[in-house]
Amino acid sequence: MTFRSLALSNIRGNWRSYSAFFLSSVFSVMIFYIYAAFLYHPDVESGFIMAASKIRKGMEFCEYIIVIFSFLFVLYSNSAFLKTRQQEFGLFSLFGMTRAQLRKLVLYENAAIAFLAVAVGIGLGTLFSKLFFMALGVLLKLEAPIPFALPLKAIGITAGGFFALFMIISMWTALRIGRTEIVDLLKAARKPKGQLVFSRWLVFVAALCLVAAYGMAFFMNSNTFVVFSLPILITVVVGTYFLFTQLSILVLTFIQKKSAVYYKRTNMIVFAQLGYKIRDNARILFIVSILSAVVMTALGTVYILQIGSKQSLLENSPFTLAYSENGLNTHEVIDQAELKRIVTEDGFKITKEAKAVSMVISRYAIQWDDEEYREFDSDAVIISATDYNKLAEMTGQPSILPEYGKLTLALQSYGEIYHHHGYVKGDINGHNKEFEISSVIDAKVMNSMQNNYYTFVMDDFSYMKLVSGIPEDQWNVMYGFELSNWEKSAPTAEKLKNLVPEELQPQIDFRRGSDLVDMNETVSLTLFIGMFISLLFFIASGSMLYFKLYTELQEDQAQFKALSRIGMTKNEMRKIVVTQVGIVFFVPVVVGILHALFAMKALDNMMNSSNWIYSFVVIGIYIAMQTIYFLVACSSYMKTMLRGATA
Amino acid sequence: MSVLQAQGLGKIYSSKGNVAYKALEDIELKLEAGEFVGVMGPSGSGKTTLLNLLSTIDRPTSGQIEINGVNPSKLTDKKLALFRRRELGFVFQDFNLLDTLSIKENIILPLVLEGIAPKKILEKLHPLAELLQITPILDKRTYEVSGGQKQRAAIARAIIHQPSLVLADELTGNLDSKSAKDVMDSLKDMNERFKATVLMVTHDPFSASYCQRIVFIKDGKFFSEIRKGTNRQAFFQQILDALSVLGGNFDDVPFARA
Repeated sequence: MTFRSLALSNIRGNWRSYSAFFLSSVFSVMIFYIYAAFLYHPDVESGFIMAASKIRKGMEFCEYIIVIFSFLFVLYSNSAFLKTRQQEFGLFSLFGMTRAQLRKLVLYENAAIAFLAVAVGIGLGTLFSKLFFMALGVLLKLEAPIPFALPLKAIGITAGGFFALFMIISMWTALRIGRTEIVDLLKAARKPKGQLVFSRWLVFVAALCLVAAYGMAFFMNSNTFVVFSLPILITVVVGTYFLFTQLSILVLTFIQKKSAVYYKRTNMIVFAQLGYKIRDNARILFIVSILSAVVMTALGTVYILQIGSKQSLLENSPFTLAYSENGLNTHEVIDQAELKRIVTEDGFKITKEAKAVSMVISRYAIQWDDEEYREFDSDAVIISATDYNKLAEMTGQPSILPEYGKLTLALQSYGEIYHHHGYVKGDINGHNKEFEISSVIDAKVMNSMQNNYYTFVMDDFSYMKLVSGIPEDQWNVMYGFELSNWEKSAPTAEKLKNLVPEELQPQIDFRRGSDLVDMNETVSLTLFIGMFISLLFFIASGSMLYFKLYTELQEDQAQFKALSRIGMTKNEMRKIVVTQVGIVFFVPVVVGILHALFAMKALDNMMNSSNWIYSFVVIGIYIAMQTIYFLVACSSYMKTMLRGATA
Repeated sequence: MSVLQAQGLGKIYSSKGNVAYKALEDIELKLEAGEFVGVMGPSGSGKTTLLNLLSTIDRPTSGQIEINGVNPSKLTDKKLALFRRRELGFVFQDFNLLDTLSIKENIILPLVLEGIAPKKILEKLHPLAELLQITPILDKRTYEVSGGQKQRAAIARAIIHQPSLVLADELTGNLDSKSAKDVMDSLKDMNERFKATVLMVTHDPFSASYCQRIVFIKDGKFFSEIRKGTNRQAFFQQILDALSVLGGNFDDVPFARA
């Protein structure tokens, strides 16, 4: 037996604890390679695939995240492995293995694992890269598919980078072994469990931190974001850590004092063991909670932003197609009949049709009560209360009743109105006029065209008086059309846009359809690339839990054997295992969900929306995936447990 | 009334490619209620196999067992587990106390699993703990108490649910002589005061001298049987004589563990 074969047989012997770690490593190598294969794809590097520039930055960013994450993950897993194998190392030392030889053994083992993980990861990556390219091709709307390629640079960077990463970490961990007495190493596995203790102070800190973090997140808005975001991050992390190390023990101690609950059949064993399981795994549970929170928050944010931006598209462009032109029935921008014909021809129905007459105030200036006098270069419009209310009804906004002879300003101001009263003056049909502004409302009833960003509403009687002096060809007429199935209207809008003379283009707003297409593309690309990182986080956090479960396997097996002797039924054992494993798997997810929900609430505050409820879609998917992981881990754990109990 | 009746009990271990090995052959055993019986034999004589069969965690290849009128080999797995829980009490050499539970919780475990009300459980616990002199350590953890205390706690656990039969496996094997004496005194107490029927497997003549009757087995077969007269010291000498006739190796108990 050579030294190398000893290392290899050690890996084989410890395969159960290595397997989850190995798979996660393979997965991160694979993702890293697939991204690298795209980034260093000959067609992408040469700029042949133009659209690739859209996602290059994002992907590079993801590569950094993968490396940083892998570093932490491998570091943690490696030191955790060595800890579980102390007894084995003690035995080797007892038989006269020197410290240097022990380190060599560990290095050999890690080198073998690293080599395997890198090779398998790149192999699988090569296999799946074409699939990834195909999906990207669809999302980027490429005409020609991205050809399969084996960029040597990508292989080199992935293989070299990950191998170096593995080896540096294992050297670092190997240096730390062998400083303990052999006796202590041998006894390491049989250390007594000790008392469950918590400090009142730290429990208080945990509760305070979480309450403070949630409170700040709940009340945070775009103004306080800069001040609050860092304190929230710190308090959440600190609070979560103490939640698992301290608060959990407090809760369990409390349950143990409730004899009606605690002394009820299997509850006693479940809760007594749970205390130790949580204490021994507190750090893992903490890390997994934070990872879950990050994954859910990130995906939830993208998803909510998508929903939010679709809503803001509707707010910004109340009509799918809108234009304004000078003079009644001049058709200088586009012929209405022609527009309707094309729209119907393309299979759309016009669900709403609006026409509103307005007067243009040019070179207007506004004097607010609480602000300096301001002159504007652009134009504004005045419309009658009747026309305004008609548009408002169509777009689902409240109707108004302006004061006689005064103006109400309807301005899209995103929930915050800064001014309330003032005066406006400007030229209407060449005559200088001045009006009092009696109120300001946050509303947008017509798409923004050239001149209606400031829309003043005037009572009908005053408006009639104003209009009577102005010839019809000076009127500014606004048209709006809402289409059924507008989400697919981008090509039709493009066709119509081409009919409008070049110099009148500022007077139309046909953008809603194509904006949606652009937005969806960005979102689906972000989701697609982000999904892999999230999956990586998810698999890694699951593998940490799985590993922890298996390090305690022997101990648990002995316990179940004893319990089975004194007459515990299989069903009772199953109940205990499912509850325990379930709590270990789902408590971090629940904590993560809570964090994510408050983050979503904060996001809502900042965007002035109420979409956090949609994050349940992401949360639901996450729970479903964790459940699958749980079922797999639980059933394999249960099998070993029952086998051990009956043996 | 007989609590345990074993007739023609045999166990053959066989696996593919190996010669079948007869661990036990034609063992007859009968325990009356309230009896305190020991089983002795050299290493490899089949003591542990016998105990496993009687504990219902292994099934005999021939013969049958009846405990309190029930034949356990006819029960389903689930019913068997419940049967063990209600009708049997166990005391093991390595205690088998759960180190996540306190001493008190370990003792009341059989009652808790049965779903008995906490108040009633405590009513049963206190007199028993008093008798076994473990009241002061009830709230301690398993690693905080001595081996003798652990074993007395294990006895309490084996007896708290008033089983038909208490099975003890080398219960003094991990103890020093002083603790061993305390534990045996306790077990005898339980036998006398609660009329608990006890079957004990041991290699230790001193522990065995507490029994009323000892069955010797050798090479899986019944060898001889002796009964105690009035004096334990005399019985101890009798046991030593019987063992010298029996011969064989008795060093089958591993080193004491901390």
